[in-house]
Amino acid sequence: MFRIIKKSLTTGVVTGRYPEPTAPVPHLTDEAKEKAAPFGNSLTIREVDTGSCNACEMEMNALANAVYDLERFGIHIAASPRHADALVVTGPVTANMERALKDVHKSAPDPKLVIALGDCAIDCGAFKGSYAVTGPVDRHIPVDVKIPGCPPRPAEILAALRALMGGAR
Amino acid sequence: MNDADAVAQQIVKVFEHQIAGVGRVQDIPVVRVAKEAIPTVAHYIHSTAEFRGTLSLQWAVDLRPMEARSQIYYLFSLAERGAWLIVLTELADGDRGFPSITPRIHAAKWYEREIRDLFGLIPEGHPDLRRLVRHEHWPKGTHPLKKDFAWDHVMGRQQGEYHFRRIEGEGVFEVPVGPIHAGIIEPGHFRFSVAGEPIMQLELRHFWTHRGVEKLFENLTLADGVSLAEKVSGDTSFGHGLAYCEAVERLMDVAIPPRARYLRTLFLELERIHNHIGDVGAICNDAAYALALAHGGRIKERVMQLNDRLTGSRFLRGVNVVGGSAIDLSPAQIDEVVREMDAIDKDFGELSAIVFGNASLTDRLESTGTLSEQTAWDHGVMGVVGRASNIDRDVRRDRPFAAYQDLVFRVPVFTYGDVRARMRIRIEEVKESINLIRQVRERAPAGDIRAPIPAPPDAGRWALSAVEGWRGEILYYVMAGENGAIHRCKVRDPSFVNWPAIQFAVLGNIIPDFPLINKSFNLSYAGTDL
Repeated sequence: MFRIIKKSLTTGVVTGRYPEPTAPVPHLTDEAKEKAAPFGNSLTIREVDTGSCNACEMEMNALANAVYDLERFGIHIAASPRHADALVVTGPVTANMERALKDVHKSAPDPKLVIALGDCAIDCGAFKGSYAVTGPVDRHIPVDVKIPGCPPRPAEILAALRALMGGAR
Repeated sequence: MNDADAVAQQIVKVFEHQIAGVGRVQDIPVVRVAKEAIPTVAHYIHSTAEFRGTLSLQWAVDLRPMEARSQIYYLFSLAERGAWLIVLTELADGDRGFPSITPRIHAAKWYEREIRDLFGLIPEGHPDLRRLVRHEHWPKGTHPLKKDFAWDHVMGRQQGEYHFRRIEGEGVFEVPVGPIHAGIIEPGHFRFSVAGEPIMQLELRHFWTHRGVEKLFENLTLADGVSLAEKVSGDTSFGHGLAYCEAVERLMDVAIPPRARYLRTLFLELERIHNHIGDVGAICNDAAYALALAHGGRIKERVMQLNDRLTGSRFLRGVNVVGGSAIDLSPAQIDEVVREMDAIDKDFGELSAIVFGNASLTDRLESTGTLSEQTAWDHGVMGVVGRASNIDRDVRRDRPFAAYQDLVFRVPVFTYGDVRARMRIRIEEVKESINLIRQVRERAPAGDIRAPIPAPPDAGRWALSAVEGWRGEILYYVMAGENGAIHRCKVRDPSFVNWPAIQFAVLGNIIPDFPLINKSFNLSYAGTDL
């Protein structure tokens, strides 16, 4: 018990200890801002991997650690698309995942935002043209926000999400 | 039996009439065998006491347009540490069948199904010929790694259903999970059959993220394949990049400058450290001990920010190049790394003490998800999962690459094979990795970091490399094509081998413990699916 308390005391607060993002915040269309408006300061996200190499997943997971702590901005990760306001989609859409992506999109309640995270989700990246890939995310479902990077750093993802939510205020 | 030639000679002695020839590539003996003799030769290598060969990799190559035939390779890791033996058979053009070795060697099960899907070559006598990589909607006759299949072919869609193995009886029901999961993880499908709480059977249905990586390699040249290798499995970006470079460097006979060898060691260990620390936290979290996740995630982030400061990439991408390293570290930077490692050694040491001091957590981790040594050996399991089940294999020690030849480290091995053993392996390995980084500072010589790349090798030459990534042994087989192109690149992430083993580790456990067991394996979906 004392060991745990001592560890917490000596560690201190680490939230916010990360370098400011250097990449510009991605451009947000007026439609995207308008769609985000009803969610106000609370956004629930469902992450969907449609063929990513898992680097984007690692950075999404990093957002939940004590350093980035995305919950402090009112952003939650939902376990089911049925609870989601926004879908974050990573990876090129593979032939095997195409059906699952469309199902998830249908399951999420309207209004919903779709965020394409990472270069692969935006234009298939290194996998463009492959027989096993059926195109970027916006070929299958409408995409509202694109966050580029391979993978984008957690600070960059957070800045983009905050800009999206800030547009609502 | 440490002389490679002696190994080959013994095989020839036993199977004299069935051996078509004996050769040697790098230091690996290659025995050519008529296809009918494959099952007996493979079984002999697998079961004879002095060989005790584990099937480490099985793959096919379509030699067209160079020659109109296909080859099937079997790579065995022998009982003698680090000794390899390749058995090779050739199929004439139009010959679509080869005898399956799966009835005698479990480890071949997925490899042979993969060869069937990607090359259309049929493993005759295989007990399970359902599709593996190709999901049921792929049209019949789609075999993407055949040379007459275009890389950008647009596939049609057909109807079809995958038939899971079913257990029937009173009170038995199925629980389907996935491909989309509750957490932020990759897609995969798990089909549980349970009666009451305990799991009676688990069947995996993977390959949702199949992106055609091996076919895409064939569009690239030997020198520029690294960036694709880094995207095979993001969490092992450096390990895969390194394994690719090592294979190509062997193929081209490039000698890497000593400083680059040390830099590669340092970065590979950094990758191991951030993944292992993150995993220790995540394993505890799946037993509802969130405090360890908070600290683990924090320390992991610390290492990833260090990666970013050193190389401009949190995943160490862009560091590996064929011929050495693209990035050099100044003495001040290496001092910074060691300072961080000293701090993390203390920080993580305190976290381990907290984790080990918690009796109720230990109760959850002990005897959960036990993988027996026999099952692990039968399936060729290695890496973290293998070492927790007493499979004492580590490429860094057994077939040293980068600078491991010059460094001193211990390979932790446990016998229990449960979740706690897999967690303890990680905790021990972090300590060893930190020590390795300290040794790199003391020993790394000054000098060049990149060797010039020579003229491309002859078409048809090939090389094989092994790198101990944080999950385990990563294998790359690269065959050169015309003018420095890649004719074939076979990628083997340790996950591909360890996935089937999880089906045995969960038996008798309850479904709510599955996430915990799965996390203790922490296998890559992207690295398996390719």
